[in-house]
Amino acid sequence: MKSRAVAVLLVLMVVGLSGCASTAPPEPTARPFEDLRRLAVVASGETTFAVTDHNAEPGRTFDEILKWGSFGGWWWKPVADLAHRGINWLLQLNRKSDVSEGLGDIRPREVVAAAFASTLRASGHYDQIDTLTAEPIGDDRRSADAIVRLAVPAWGLVRVRESDPDLHSAFADARAELVVPSTGVVVWERTEDVTDLQRLPLATFTADRKYTRQQLMEVLERAGQRLASELLYARSAGL
Amino acid sequence: MSAGRSVAMGALLCGLALASGAGCARTVGLDVRYPEAGVNRALLSSVPPQRVGIGPVVDRRMDTSRIGSLPENGRVVVTRRPVTDIVRDALAVEVSRNGHAVLPDAQDVLLTAEVEEFWLDVVVGRSHAQYVGKVVLALAVVDGRNGERLFTRHYAGTKRREADADAKDVAREVMDAALARTLHDFATDPKAVAAFGRR
Repeated sequence: MKSRAVAVLLVLMVVGLSGCASTAPPEPTARPFEDLRRLAVVASGETTFAVTDHNAEPGRTFDEILKWGSFGGWWWKPVADLAHRGINWLLQLNRKSDVSEGLGDIRPREVVAAAFASTLRASGHYDQIDTLTAEPIGDDRRSADAIVRLAVPAWGLVRVRESDPDLHSAFADARAELVVPSTGVVVWERTEDVTDLQRLPLATFTADRKYTRQQLMEVLERAGQRLASELLYARSAGL
Repeated sequence: MSAGRSVAMGALLCGLALASGAGCARTVGLDVRYPEAGVNRALLSSVPPQRVGIGPVVDRRMDTSRIGSLPENGRVVVTRRPVTDIVRDALAVEVSRNGHAVLPDAQDVLLTAEVEEFWLDVVVGRSHAQYVGKVVLALAVVDGRNGERLFTRHYAGTKRREADADAKDVAREVMDAALARTLHDFATDPKAVAAFGRR
């Protein structure tokens, strides 16, 4: 009798376990936010202009010295890496000042925010889009279904191809989050890295300020358009 | 080549070889595809369902034999499937996920594509690599009944990412992402959507 009870218990356990195994966990559904039709777009945060190289130099030179000199030991690699980063940082500062001359009046956050708002307006899916320079308060806050917080942490030029000479492109890194003001809940967020399609030697950018300015403006606008495009793409997700 | 850079380059080759399953061949094959998990109903679903044909996808790239090459050793990067097939499948997924029927004939709308660029750039630093994927497509919406071209536009998507040189899937992921961004721009373009609903 006892052994029969044990057998029944075992069968029940097996059936129960197999039931658990075959039941797929519910798929997480993205939260749709089609009903948020009045937006306040706020651009804020630190912005850094950079000329980024991802260069193996001068570490290459250190390694050559290492080969021929009497250096070595466990301490050499970290020291060489640190020196490599330090020297590249100084080189980048130099390149940055060469390229950034005459770009002081470009406001990356404002350019991205304007392009973002313009793309959303053109979609016809929003009743109201206000572009603000600070967090909305009072009536502005009450009249918004959601606040879009935009930031442009980095923009500038990046080396995209090793050749002779190396080729660079304009780039902009931007991010956005969509927040419901009444609850503070973030319903959508996105980071976009935009790299311009044109690839040119760095000397072209330093020699032709007008062109550089135009490329940078275009890539910033593109970043705003891309963020808007991804917001539009995500707004019906899960429906 | 320096020791540091040799290590980074070696790691990059190992990573890409693992990702492609190509061993030590002279080519690296990437299984690029439009990631279906991220495909949503977008603005393209706001028009009544259409019977859509995916027309010829034409490869207009200058160099159709590869999608990039690795710096210094010149190893060629290719896609495992033809680029035109990748683009055709991506369009079919996007259109059908938006509620339209993709059919070989009896179409309301014909969607044609030209691939103008499908490229991966890799820049190897001292300890890491930067990957930049780039996809440029010219897409056209054609009236399926009379052949009238309703809409044409270029869509470009890029993806840039830094990673350890031995990160094995990054090359494919940046190409997937660049393709996805191109398709997302198309699916949220009010003019493309209007052309879909206008025929």
